[in-house]
Amino acid sequence: MDIVLQQLLNAVALGGTYALLALGLAIVFSVMGLINFAHGELMTATGYGIFFGIAAGFPFILSLGMGVGLAVVLALSMERVAFRPIRRASPTIMLLTSFAVSTILHTLMQNLISARPKPIPIPDMLAGAVTIGAHQIGTIQVLSIVIAAVSLIGLTLFFRATLLGIGMRAAAEDFDVARLMGLNANRVIAVAFAISGVLAGIAGILWLFQRGSVDPLMGFVPVLKAFIAVVLGGMGSLVGAVAGGFILGVVEVLLRAFLPDALISYRDAISLSIVIAILYFYPDGIIPRRENIR
Amino acid sequence: MFRKSLNLGVATLGLAMMLGGPAHAEETFKLGFLGGLTGYLAPYDQPSLDGLTFGVDEINKAGGLQGKYKIELVSRDMRSETAESAVIAQELAGAGVNFLVVPCDVDPAVAAGQISAAAGIPTMSSCASTPTLPGIVGEYMFSNYTADNLQAAALGDYAMKQGYKNAFVMLSKDTPYTQKLPEYFVEVFKKKGGSIAGIIEYKMGQQDFAAEVTKIKGLSPAPDVIMTSAYEPDFPAFIKALRAAGITTPVLGSDGIDSPTTLALGDVAEGVVFTNAGFATEGSALAKFFADYKAAKGKEPETLYVATGYDIVKVLDAAVGASQGKLDGKSLRDAVDGLENVAVATGTMTYKGMNRVPLRTVALNKVTGGARALVELVTPAAADVPAAQ
Repeated sequence: MDIVLQQLLNAVALGGTYALLALGLAIVFSVMGLINFAHGELMTATGYGIFFGIAAGFPFILSLGMGVGLAVVLALSMERVAFRPIRRASPTIMLLTSFAVSTILHTLMQNLISARPKPIPIPDMLAGAVTIGAHQIGTIQVLSIVIAAVSLIGLTLFFRATLLGIGMRAAAEDFDVARLMGLNANRVIAVAFAISGVLAGIAGILWLFQRGSVDPLMGFVPVLKAFIAVVLGGMGSLVGAVAGGFILGVVEVLLRAFLPDALISYRDAISLSIVIAILYFYPDGIIPRRENIR
Repeated sequence: MFRKSLNLGVATLGLAMMLGGPAHAEETFKLGFLGGLTGYLAPYDQPSLDGLTFGVDEINKAGGLQGKYKIELVSRDMRSETAESAVIAQELAGAGVNFLVVPCDVDPAVAAGQISAAAGIPTMSSCASTPTLPGIVGEYMFSNYTADNLQAAALGDYAMKQGYKNAFVMLSKDTPYTQKLPEYFVEVFKKKGGSIAGIIEYKMGQQDFAAEVTKIKGLSPAPDVIMTSAYEPDFPAFIKALRAAGITTPVLGSDGIDSPTTLALGDVAEGVVFTNAGFATEGSALAKFFADYKAAKGKEPETLYVATGYDIVKVLDAAVGASQGKLDGKSLRDAVDGLENVAVATGTMTYKGMNRVPLRTVALNKVTGGARALVELVTPAAADVPAAQ
């Protein structure tokens, strides 16, 4: 029983990071219909922001802030430079553009910074474990759970209580109608990218706490996971993306923990099969975007 | 008028090339490099090319290979794509390179090697460590880097010397390096009388190792040592999770973790022992290489792959000496295949009798206070090195 609870905590910690990433992707998709595969590069930018912050002698916390700040600046820049000109283009063109942005960014990072990973020294106090009752859980995992929870609660408040947030929810449900109501499209989309930058930054920090280094290709795997989570939760649905992220995290950790050794090589195949099975019963995702509901 | 003088110029140039051509070709050694300068191989192939270029510049300043044959280096980016690797190999073979250096990974190295080897061009992978690579491609293919089975032999031997009886192994079937190196270790460790407490699989890039660590924690009896060839970002994530769970079992790793990240991990990585291609002891060739490199470029190399890239030029110099200046593919191939104890930046290299996988010095390092400390430099006995498979 102990080990089950321990593994459940592990699952929630990973799911929280996936949820933050998926939410970042989903926010942009909900207002623009774009799956931004350059989202992973925002995480990478966070890493380099932190690396250069520490190298320049800034305190650790301030360096973390610089990392997130860099991700937001980069998110806003990619919207302005790459995605705004093609806003009315087909989803395929948008998708290919996002691949291009991603490739350009990581090639630039490889050639201008370094192809080799750059270390990010994490304070020792983050390396330990916290004892809760009879259970031990890593400090980083506790932080993952807490930070993911705080971010999600903060974002929920933003969406429910602020005018801009309500406007964005309206835009997520029906962008054209929201515009007819007087919503400024450029502003909403820019805010969506900024939020996605913040979320990628936070998820990036959690990721970096675990891996201890930043390299140009580090965003690739996380963005794939986030994409799976978004599809699982329902394309364009914000709550769905969070749910998708948690489900994916929980499924992955539980399979790794409890699959018999002989089957463990197949765990990705099995976890994706579970995703497909869920989509078979819920083709629009678990919590689909509400459309045409009157 | 202009046109006429242009024509005249072209004709003069042509004549000059005809006259100067053959003599010029005799003095030049054309060295091809194809590697992933962008994409997933960039962390390995960029530094390999950096070291190779450094070596080429150095030897050209001294008159060229054996003081006679200036190297003309032609490098191409295959963007870490296997198909592109074959296309560029074709291009460089067509350009008449005397020797070809191919990527650090097995698949693109095989793709390139099959083309160049068929054209009779001696070919060498910059830093692929899979010992079966030369055998797969054939007579003209060589390895340069410390092979997986060699590192495993050094680690297995070290583990036994420490009195570890029961080892736990973590591997990933995603690449030959992450799978075979631990498997070779298991073979060596068992042969020397050790037992294996368990083998666990991970997925490269999985980031979160809490599930695996919880399993290790549940083992009874606890293993004496944990061995893995996981590297960044997996290794840092793993060791952090392991130490956070309160598991203090010693950990053995391989050259993949020889990076500033491991040294910056702080307490969690303290005491980790890993193999790599060399250690810069005072007065050693490697220390001299680091100093020369720093003098020329203003900073030390980021990784040892720079030194192993440089080693290739040393091997070429020795090979051209052994072939007595014959630069044709067959003579060069035979010359490299017969090299013994060539002094290179990272120590010595021997190809003779090694089936084109060099016998190299293996350094055992221990992470001590955020730096590498030398445990020992070893050249494993041939009988201890598991057969390449």
